[in-house]
Amino acid sequence: MTKVNDFHYSGERAWCPGCGDYGILSSVENALANLKKKPHEVLMVSGIGQAAKLPHYIKANGFDGLHGRALPAAFGAKVANHKLMVLVTSGDGDIYGEGGNHFIHAIRRNIDITLIVHNNQIYGLTKGQASPTSDLGMVTKTQPDGVFTIPFNPLEMAITLDAAFVARSFSKDIAFTTKLIEEGIRTPGFSLIDVLQPCVSFNHVNTYKWYGDRVYQLDNSYDPADKSKAYQKSSEWGDKIPIGVIYKNSRKTYLDNVIKPRDLPLIKRETSIKGIESLINELY
Amino acid sequence: MPFDFNITIAGSAGQGLQTIAGILTKVLAGNGYHLFTSQDYMSRIRGGHNFTNIRVSDKPVYSPTVTSQLLVALDQESVEVHYQSLTGPAIIVHDSDTITVKKARNIQIVAVPLTKLSNESGSPVYINSVAAGVLFSLLRLDLKELVGFLETRFAEKSPEQIKGNINAATKGFTYTSENYQNIKTTIGTVRKKNRMLINGAESIAIGMIAGGVRFISAYPMSPSTGIFIYITGKARKFGIISEQAEDEIAACNMALGAGAAGARSAVTTSGGGLSLMCEGISLAGAAEIPVVIANMQRPGPATGFPTRTAQEDLDLVLNIGHGEFPRFIFAPGTAEEAFYTSIHAMNLAEKYQVPVFILGDQHLVDSSITLDKLNPNRVKYKSYMVKSGNLKKPYLRYKNTKSGVSPLAYYGQDKVTFIVDSHVHTEDGHISEDMVVAEKLTEKRFRKINGMKKEFYGPQYYGPQNAETLFVSWGSTYGAVRETIDYLLEKKKSVAMIHYNKIWPFPVEESIRLLKSRKDIRVVENNYQAQFNRLLKRETGIDTGEPVLRYDGRPFDVQYIIEKFEKRQK
Repeated sequence: MTKVNDFHYSGERAWCPGCGDYGILSSVENALANLKKKPHEVLMVSGIGQAAKLPHYIKANGFDGLHGRALPAAFGAKVANHKLMVLVTSGDGDIYGEGGNHFIHAIRRNIDITLIVHNNQIYGLTKGQASPTSDLGMVTKTQPDGVFTIPFNPLEMAITLDAAFVARSFSKDIAFTTKLIEEGIRTPGFSLIDVLQPCVSFNHVNTYKWYGDRVYQLDNSYDPADKSKAYQKSSEWGDKIPIGVIYKNSRKTYLDNVIKPRDLPLIKRETSIKGIESLINELY
Repeated sequence: MPFDFNITIAGSAGQGLQTIAGILTKVLAGNGYHLFTSQDYMSRIRGGHNFTNIRVSDKPVYSPTVTSQLLVALDQESVEVHYQSLTGPAIIVHDSDTITVKKARNIQIVAVPLTKLSNESGSPVYINSVAAGVLFSLLRLDLKELVGFLETRFAEKSPEQIKGNINAATKGFTYTSENYQNIKTTIGTVRKKNRMLINGAESIAIGMIAGGVRFISAYPMSPSTGIFIYITGKARKFGIISEQAEDEIAACNMALGAGAAGARSAVTTSGGGLSLMCEGISLAGAAEIPVVIANMQRPGPATGFPTRTAQEDLDLVLNIGHGEFPRFIFAPGTAEEAFYTSIHAMNLAEKYQVPVFILGDQHLVDSSITLDKLNPNRVKYKSYMVKSGNLKKPYLRYKNTKSGVSPLAYYGQDKVTFIVDSHVHTEDGHISEDMVVAEKLTEKRFRKINGMKKEFYGPQYYGPQNAETLFVSWGSTYGAVRETIDYLLEKKKSVAMIHYNKIWPFPVEESIRLLKSRKDIRVVENNYQAQFNRLLKRETGIDTGEPVLRYDGRPFDVQYIIEKFEKRQK
């Protein structure tokens, strides 16, 4: 590829050298370019954390809001202007911890956005505390006896709530991650792509090698429409970790219920004085 | 003949008090009577003791009265609770099948077999229509109007139900006319005129719609829910999207996402929910996202009194959100003022890209008043976004301007991109750690105050110019204070009042001009700490007298203010 990606930002990025975030950023840029989107048609929403800095490192619209609150903000932006392509990129602490409740309800709504979780199983920005996805036994400064609270399984949760698209990837495999992001964007409704990502500074257990030794791509014989199989795959975590599309569901999206594709976006609509007069007249 | 007549309809939740009150008030308003109706209900769906007061007069009325001339008692407890507050010659209407009332001088008893007449009409659920029929007879209103009202009001019900209700109303009316034709009421006649009846929830909701709200999100919470329900009911027709969020944190952040994308957004809540929105409001301040927050107060702390009134959140809205950023706070005094204020609020949020608070309370949202009209042309929707095609490139979302207000665009407008950000950021919205950037950004935000100070009106004066004693109201205490002034002026006292709707930015100069060299200044407010009184002293440096406070969850009335005022005077 000789053409410079329209989405590529050439400024400084405040991530550690070797961070998994770089791979995810490249995958997002590639996916958007492959889908022939223009930067002004795309909105990147994030919360707080290392991963949540991504909207600053890509040429597109951005909303870098509060820790844990990326999904409600993304929902608001999408309904305000349904012509925007909305992607959320944030970390495991942000989406599954602080924003856990919003994760549940965004999936229930099936709002047409694509959520990319940079899942490094640790808190990076606050320097190395356990996250909701840290494995049992991981010792940190705030979990000195090792994690004894069972990890959150985002895939199982998303399947339970019938997310439109549930996938897992590994940040090092940029080509594969790109493909999954593209597919997630193309799928109407809520798409989750949980991307396993090493934290080179603070997670000394789940390293490039650790993930590399375990991940394997699901092959064509796997049917993501089968919910019970999807549960089985989503709980596979240990010597083998599957990556690929785990689950797909084609239920009605939020916007199917409230907006027709040809409707004007909310931001272009107007209220007439006549309409207000009709409301006032109802009070007589 | 001037008259001021108060009707109390009392019973337990689920007995349909609001249906009776709804029918009666609509017809009275349609006939030209001036009304003030207030609700006193418990936080429960069935049982308990609830009542509605309907104050009827030949002139505009602005507050509730605690004494009553007509009591409709739907259960025994209602008789016991309200007997003492009847002033003669008073009337008690009660169900002779279930309730007993002891005779007394100056009390006329209207005993009607409400349950029996309802059953005879086909079902015990028509009892409200029987009671409405009784009231129409006693108040010398036209039965035909009641029938017409039932036909339109219950249009969606089955023909059998409509017929049953009409039969029930007719039976109640006829029974009373035949047996109690000698009952005297002091309600007079007025010149026929069709007035509207509006409560604060409706006026805020319609004002928000008129102000161009496109997205509203909320988590239901008394007493704010009425606004959210009203807008949701009109959402499809007006091209609005309404979303019931999983919690107030989500509600606030949804509104901010929609606001950043260019849709006018609002949230409705009450104290507890507002507390959850705290961080989101700070984000609105940092990222300069327009949003209107309608906070309808109820007594706290914590769960407090869910269905009652208070003005305890003033300090909270003055300070909510960590860090420093400008904001508007409005506290409309009446449903009429709330309508125009809400349109202003929607416009100003966008004009200055700041959070705007509409601070109301249970008393404001649940009380209805009669109005001749609302004028949708008085305050008009106005867009403050850059017109498409006019965007200067490169577009800087946080351009450092003289006014402090940066040009506002929506994502993708004229093919530009921009980022909205919660950190200290550069003019193009990117994270910065630079001290000069931080200083300039803060100064830019606060320069908006210069424009904000000039917006919308300052304190409103009522009464003779040189009055010695000045009462001060803010928000819903306006009505009771205004009527206190009228009462004291009749007693030849030297009093006047000022009312604050715009609370922040605080109108300092105008306040000093109005407050200086008064013998006594008395702030009237529904809280313990005299929050507005403290604000007034802090901002003006003028000393005030003992404030008149109430913190039992009930709204002020003239009698209450006078008693507290006179006690402190001695």
